[in-house]
Parts: sequence; structure tokens; C-alpha cells
Amino acid sequence: MFSQYFGNYLLNRGIIKPEQLTDALEYQRSVHLKLGVIAVNAGYMTPAQVEEIHNMQKKVDKRFGELAIEKGYITGQQLEEMLATQRQGHLMLGQALIDRGHLTIEQLQKALDEYKNEYGMSTRQFNVVRKDDSQEIEQIFRDYGEALLGKMYSDYVTLLMKNLIRFVDDNPTIEINQFKSDLTAQWFVSQEIFGKINMLTAIACDKDVFVKFAARFAQEEITEPDELAQASVGEFLNLHNGIFLVNMSNNGVELEMNPQQVEKNRTLANPGKAYVITCNMTWGKFDVILV
Amino acid sequence: MSKSRPTILICDDSLLVRKKMRDCLNEYGEFDIIEASSGQSSIELFKQHDPDLVFLDIVMPDKNGIDALKEMMAVKKDVKVVMLSSSGTRSHLKAAMEAGAHDFIQKPWEKSQIEHIIRNIF
Repeated sequence: MFSQYFGNYLLNRGIIKPEQLTDALEYQRSVHLKLGVIAVNAGYMTPAQVEEIHNMQKKVDKRFGELAIEKGYITGQQLEEMLATQRQGHLMLGQALIDRGHLTIEQLQKALDEYKNEYGMSTRQFNVVRKDDSQEIEQIFRDYGEALLGKMYSDYVTLLMKNLIRFVDDNPTIEINQFKSDLTAQWFVSQEIFGKINMLTAIACDKDVFVKFAARFAQEEITEPDELAQASVGEFLNLHNGIFLVNMSNNGVELEMNPQQVEKNRTLANPGKAYVITCNMTWGKFDVILV
Repeated sequence: MSKSRPTILICDDSLLVRKKMRDCLNEYGEFDIIEASSGQSSIELFKQHDPDLVFLDIVMPDKNGIDALKEMMAVKKDVKVVMLSSSGTRSHLKAAMEAGAHDFIQKPWEKSQIEHIIRNIF
């Protein structure tokens, strides 16, 4: 799970030029992800070992995985894992940049290492809360019968936990429940996500929590639910949803979102199938709604 | 209209983002800063003030940042527009680069990223 798109990272760091990124993004659609890039990304092989196998393939009619096992660089199990690797966006882009001659595999490895180090939201950070939360979250949605969208909902909530830790509280806990009755909130901040999947996301809370939330995220002195407070809570939701969209994009699903809305004294009628994620912070609690 | 100092246009619907960006840019003490809170108003201010650098959000009311970027580029081809968005998806990045964006910073931004942009442009 990453908080920044890999292409954006390469551009910001000056590793590639805008025209090279544009070219690779266009080419990426037809790219074939090679085992060498997967092996380097997984840390199983060095770029030099990958080059060695590529050179061997010019002389011997054997597959990459077969030769890598023969040379003792990877195990059969690691090969199975590599073959099962999904079309991860950052790897597809990396392969496109190599194929188009914009990066060498050594440069890609260095960039991938730095990218993961800087922008990969590690499970270590998430473990601050509880070791197996992400699996538990997935199980909860599965228990609610979310076969198709369960993974997406659990990714959303897992990311929410990480962003709460990152931006507003060191030790949040959450409860996930199905929406069972109408909900009235003093402050209601919402944002629609649309595309292949449509979802309404919202933060609902009372005035006191709204102001505390705003002050913590903005790192400003905020004492009233004024325009700056509304912008602050709205921006948290916008930021969280934006990072969610980046993660989905990295997995090959492109989504869009509308600008966030802030409403006072809003009642949300029970929309049928929806979820309420109650977030317990050290400074109060609020609900995140997923419809 | 002659300008004594470079002008920077900040376009974002969030008051918080505009405030943080203005605070950051004011530390340099050498720019005139103007702000727009929607895509349409960003175009109007762009035409009115001819800024030297634009920071442009993507998800905004009434006109998104990609469309606003295209209109700005049509008015002034060599303008430096830096996209500043939480939604740095593959499709947004591709659309922005194709439309001529100078750079793309994903929120939350850091001062060092803004410093890098300022140093490159001015």
C-alpha cells in the first residue's frame, strides 16, 4: 500500500523527465511485466543477477525462473510467489520505463527501494495499533456478506486507520457496524467517489469533536467550527480519499472523486446497505460512513 | 501591467490548503500571492494577473484542475503550472503531464517540495 503514485515519486525526485513519464504511462497499457523486475522488487535477486540470467537466455533455451533456480538465486516457492504477483501499478510502470530505455534495472531498483522506504505505509506503523487488524477488518466485511466489495472496504478502513495515526491520533481504535437506523450529526463532511465503483464517504460528529479534529489535523489554534475548521476536516477526508484513489490506481482501478461537502445538522436516512465505522480517538469519537 | 515582484497564484477549494501554502510562500518575502477557491475563478484570476507560477488543485468545484490547466496553457503556453492534489492517480498524472503541467505534487506536500519548485523556477 503506497501513499504516492510511483510515477509521481520519480518525477518529483527528478529521476525521470515529464516527457519520459508521459511516454511510459502511454506504453504501460501494453507492457509485459518480466520476472526480473518482480525478483528485484521482492529483493530476491540483484540487478546484476537478473542481467546474468538474461544473458544466459540468449544462449540457452530455458525460462528465466528455471535458470534462476538452477543458479540458486531463487527457490521454487519464491518463483511461485513471483508468478502469482498481480499487476502492481508501480512495477508495471517500472517495466515500461526500462522497456522504453528511460531507466536501467539498477536505477529502478534504487528508486523502488527509496520509494518503499519513504512512501510505503509499512505494516510496522500499523502494528502500533494491533498486529492483525487488517485481516480482522477483511473478515468483518466478509462476515457481512461483502464478497465483491469486501476487499475494497477493508482496504479503505485499513488505510483510514493508518491516516488517523499519521495525522490526528497516536492510538485510535475502531468498531465496524452495519448501518441500522437514520443518523443525525451536528457536523457532516462527505465526499463521493465514483467510476467503476460508486461510494459515498462521510465523517459525522458533534461540534466538540469536530473542532478538536480540525485543530489536530490543521495544527492550528481552532476553537470554533468556523470556515477554517470546516476546511480542515474536509481536507482530511479529501486527503484520505485521494490516497485511497492512488492505491486503487496502483492496483489498476481508476476512480474519481467530487469536491467534499460540509453540512450542519444533517440527517442521513438509513440507505440500506452501508457501514458505520466508529473511530475512538483519545480526544473523542466520530463516525465514518461508507455507503 | 508591469510587475515589480513575481506573482504566484494558489488555486485550491480548501481554505486550509491555501493558508498553509500562503504561509509557506510568505516566508520567502519576495512574491505577490493571489488565491482562487474554484476552477473557474482560477481562470479569471490567471487572465487578470498573469502569474509567473500557479499551484493548481485537481478536484475543485465548477471546473476541475485539469480543465483549468488546459485553459491556462491556451492563454499562455509557457506558464509554469504545478498540480497539487491528493488524488495523484495514474490517470490524473497522465492527463496533467499531457496538458503541459510543469510538475505534480501529491498532498500532503512538504516545504522541501515547494522549495525545490521555487528554486527551479525563480
